[in-house]
Amino acid sequence: MSDERRPAPRGSVAITSADTNESVLRASGRALLIHFHGAQRALKLYPVENATTQRALDDLHRGALQVLAAEQELEVRVMGEFLFVNSLRLRLELDNYAAFSSVLGMFREFGIGALRMDEGAERREWQVLLSLMAGQAGKTPAGGQSKFDDLRARLEAGGVTHLVLEPESEGQEFADDAQAAKQAAKRCYSQGVAVTKEVMTGARMGRAVSVKKMKRAVQSIVDQVLSNETSVMGLTTIRDYDEYTFTHSVNVCIFSVAIGKKLGLEKKQLYDLGLAALLHDIGKARVPLEILNKKGGLDEEEWKVMQAHPWLGVLTLFGLKGYGEVPYRSVLVAAEHHMKIDLTGYPRVIRPREQGTYSRLVAVADGYDAATTRRSYQTVPIPSDKVLKEMWENPRRGYDRVMVKALINLLGIYPVGTCVVLDTFEVAIVAGANPDPTFLNRPLVRLALDGQGGIVLPPGTLVDLAERDAAGQFTRTIVKVTTPDRYGLTVGDYFV
Amino acid sequence: MTEPRESGPRTTSAVQIPVGPPPDGPDGNPLPMHPQLLEEVLRTLMKAMRATQMYLPNNPVYQRAVDTLRAAFKPMWEEVDEVNLVIHETELVWEGQTVYANPGKGDNIAWLFFKDGIRSLLLKSGVEAEELVPLLEVINKARTLPTDAEDDLLTLLWEYDFQFLHYQFVEVLQEGVTQVTSSGGTPGLVSSAAPDDVVAQRDARQQAVKEEADEAVNKSQVVRLEDFDSTLYFLDEAEVAYLKEQIGREYSQDLRANAMGTLYDLFETQTEHAVREEILTILESFPPYLMAAGDLRAVAEMLREAKVLVLRARHLEEPQRERLDQFAAVLSEPAVVEEMLQAIEEAVQPPPEADLAELFRELRGTALEPVLAWLPKLSKEQVRQMLERVVTRLAESFPADVHKILGTPESAALPGAVALAGRLKMQSAVVGLALTLQHADPGIRLATAQGLGGIGSPGALQALERGLSDPDREVRLFAVRVMAEKGYKGALKSVEALVLGKNVESIDLTERQAFFEAYARIAAAAALAPLSEIAGAKGGLFKKTFAPETRACAVMALARIKSPEARAAIEKVAQDKEVVVRNAVARALREIVT
Repeated sequence: MSDERRPAPRGSVAITSADTNESVLRASGRALLIHFHGAQRALKLYPVENATTQRALDDLHRGALQVLAAEQELEVRVMGEFLFVNSLRLRLELDNYAAFSSVLGMFREFGIGALRMDEGAERREWQVLLSLMAGQAGKTPAGGQSKFDDLRARLEAGGVTHLVLEPESEGQEFADDAQAAKQAAKRCYSQGVAVTKEVMTGARMGRAVSVKKMKRAVQSIVDQVLSNETSVMGLTTIRDYDEYTFTHSVNVCIFSVAIGKKLGLEKKQLYDLGLAALLHDIGKARVPLEILNKKGGLDEEEWKVMQAHPWLGVLTLFGLKGYGEVPYRSVLVAAEHHMKIDLTGYPRVIRPREQGTYSRLVAVADGYDAATTRRSYQTVPIPSDKVLKEMWENPRRGYDRVMVKALINLLGIYPVGTCVVLDTFEVAIVAGANPDPTFLNRPLVRLALDGQGGIVLPPGTLVDLAERDAAGQFTRTIVKVTTPDRYGLTVGDYFV
Repeated sequence: MTEPRESGPRTTSAVQIPVGPPPDGPDGNPLPMHPQLLEEVLRTLMKAMRATQMYLPNNPVYQRAVDTLRAAFKPMWEEVDEVNLVIHETELVWEGQTVYANPGKGDNIAWLFFKDGIRSLLLKSGVEAEELVPLLEVINKARTLPTDAEDDLLTLLWEYDFQFLHYQFVEVLQEGVTQVTSSGGTPGLVSSAAPDDVVAQRDARQQAVKEEADEAVNKSQVVRLEDFDSTLYFLDEAEVAYLKEQIGREYSQDLRANAMGTLYDLFETQTEHAVREEILTILESFPPYLMAAGDLRAVAEMLREAKVLVLRARHLEEPQRERLDQFAAVLSEPAVVEEMLQAIEEAVQPPPEADLAELFRELRGTALEPVLAWLPKLSKEQVRQMLERVVTRLAESFPADVHKILGTPESAALPGAVALAGRLKMQSAVVGLALTLQHADPGIRLATAQGLGGIGSPGALQALERGLSDPDREVRLFAVRVMAEKGYKGALKSVEALVLGKNVESIDLTERQAFFEAYARIAAAAALAPLSEIAGAKGGLFKKTFAPETRACAVMALARIKSPEARAAIEKVAQDKEVVVRNAVARALREIVT
């Protein structure tokens, strides 16, 4: 993954060229943070005069000057769990997480939102700053002063003028909350994908599965849908081509739980539904990989094998090692999700039955996600509005119309992830329904292209289409739904 | 964050109230309450946890422990509205103060929470009222879970959905989780311009956007709210009602039955050998789970479906047909049936009789023996009655199995089978009963006699004749009474031989009387002369003498002949000098009149 530029803080506009030398900044930014941490640690362990300490301070100062020289600015900013150097988010890796975590911790302890180095900074100033931070860590300033104010006053007294600190702002806290919510959603989504992968691989290999993990993953998805629906719904747009089977299962789980929430299901019922949805395609674990991942169309014989996945799912779930009690509801959903409401789908039915309620609900979520996703045998995803129209209008699809309507209700006119052209000639990705339900056609969007065709790097700038200008006119209005491919946009990137 | 309350006089409580102001916290300010109050809560919580583990909810020790815990919260809530505990491996920390520490991991509440990923616990005022007992139950359940269980403390807490208890946790099961990431692609690359030409790319994008927007405007394709069917975006009342009904249906269905139905369908529709083998293996593994769950109806259904599959499944291989046939045979094996009976006997609530009957209707006759053996051992009358009805049906359907038991002298089910054969008047069981009449156990012989008497057919009575000479008095007595009652001529020889034999006076009076009466009933008029002779045989030169009791027996027997000649014979001894005889005459004359 490449590190990403966040929209510049303090309302600055988007970066409009793709030619910034990010790789240099990425490398020097990481080096700077590692030097900062090294100097911090050296000051903790050795006296300031010690050669190790001095060498660490030299490295830090030299690294800072390099960035400043290359970028004409140097700002280290904390946003949620991330560190940005000149608006470039630094990626956490195994060889640097300790340094990042320490720097983040130090910034948080002193309430520092950003640290800026101006032209003319001296090595001594780093020494003062780090010595003060090391000395004051874990202490409470006297007189009720905040740690940030205390540190800033001490810096001033110490003659540090080129290293400028900025406190965490309230806006920062809100940003932190939003960032934390997004991170929680990502963790939950990643966990869901990992667990699904583990379960399906386990089923393929005949290994026992951890039911506990599966429970936790579904409980977590339910929690996210209940408390953080927009973030987690946004992640359904990731549509990872290679991991389709797993991400699809998680997406269907999220859509199903979200529809269930809309229908007023209780938390435990949402769990039942979510588990069944997560496992609905488990039969695919027994479809040969060469068919499952075959690029292009499947021939008749291969389709036959593919169409066996519901009943293969039944057998898999009945024999799932690790389950004390057979998950009967999941068995039924796996069996029935392609049966269609009139039972004309597959597998064939002999004994009298009806397609279960959760099976119908999962069928709707499954149909929607599958059709709107690029996968091995469907290289062109169908736009969501067309998918919903087909599901709603074509009875031969065999969906329960009220369930489809519930899905339309959930997604709104512009489902999350829809790419739209605005009357400002901007292109945006729908990020969520407008909190005001009267603005059905004015969702929250993330700008992806500005009015001049310039790229707004993911996650884009969040804009409420219900915003009006001073004259009371809407600032932006959707004029058209478009395809993100046309502009080389990967929708999922705006939600990660 | 703990909210301090105004301090005031500390009131009633069983808890030791700390004296003096609370100590300072890490920020140098006084803590909102004395940590001892919380320490006391945690101490009583530990005690309540132990009580939950050891006692049932109705036990006074448990109830006292819960009450004490509730009381311990009171002084704390007088000071603060909530407490947030930070959880470390072996200690709990509140506002920087360690309020619970236990270096060991056994019986350690901090570790119990910590190991499942819980890192902080927020208790709010009110938790003690409604959520204390469920919390103790959840903790107790979590403590006893094996490591590979489907649940841990976290999943259990989630399921209860506590309102006055919140927790934060880290995912401890996260290994192998890769965070979702962006695609890594360069956004904004459009195919109409050279990929490296940044300006051309931007212009191409701008041009494309404008074209799309203009096209939409020119063709009046601009999206307008009125273009949408707004009714699509709201569910009407009927739809809401429909969905509610559907959810109710989801939760009222018999999940297991429906899932099993899916398997039966699959067996019929999928003809591949391996698939059918897999389904058979699943089905074969099911009965123990169904039985353990008390779902006897599902077992019955399975057995019925097995028969249906044998009839309907296309291209069924012979070994698979045999496996299907074996379902009922295996479940009817004595050891299996015994397990089931034990489970039924030990269940708090016996299964519905209809379910039990449904299952036994599907079982084979081999199930009969264990049920019959269990019947006398059952302590619950309701269960016993249910099973008696069940065995009746089984015996009627599988008489050969009754015969088999009758031919097995060592079977524990033998007395039951003997009784059953009698109760059901199983003519076909007479041969078997004739054998059991020779059993070493007098109890079984008596039961057999009773059974044969119950059957009452000539064959049964013929078999029962052997009982007249049984070593056990009770058997003989029963047999002779049956012979008398039935007037069975076939027994005349045996009875007559005893009555008129020289040893007649050596048997006890009751038995003697029974034989005399049987003789009278069976021989009727032919018995008149011999009985008259005995009745009047009070001795004399060269005359046979009988004891007065024997003569009284003859008098009573004459009454059974119910003829004028018999009456005359009775009256003839009316003036006998023996009181016993005269009394017998009086009774006999009364009886002969009636």
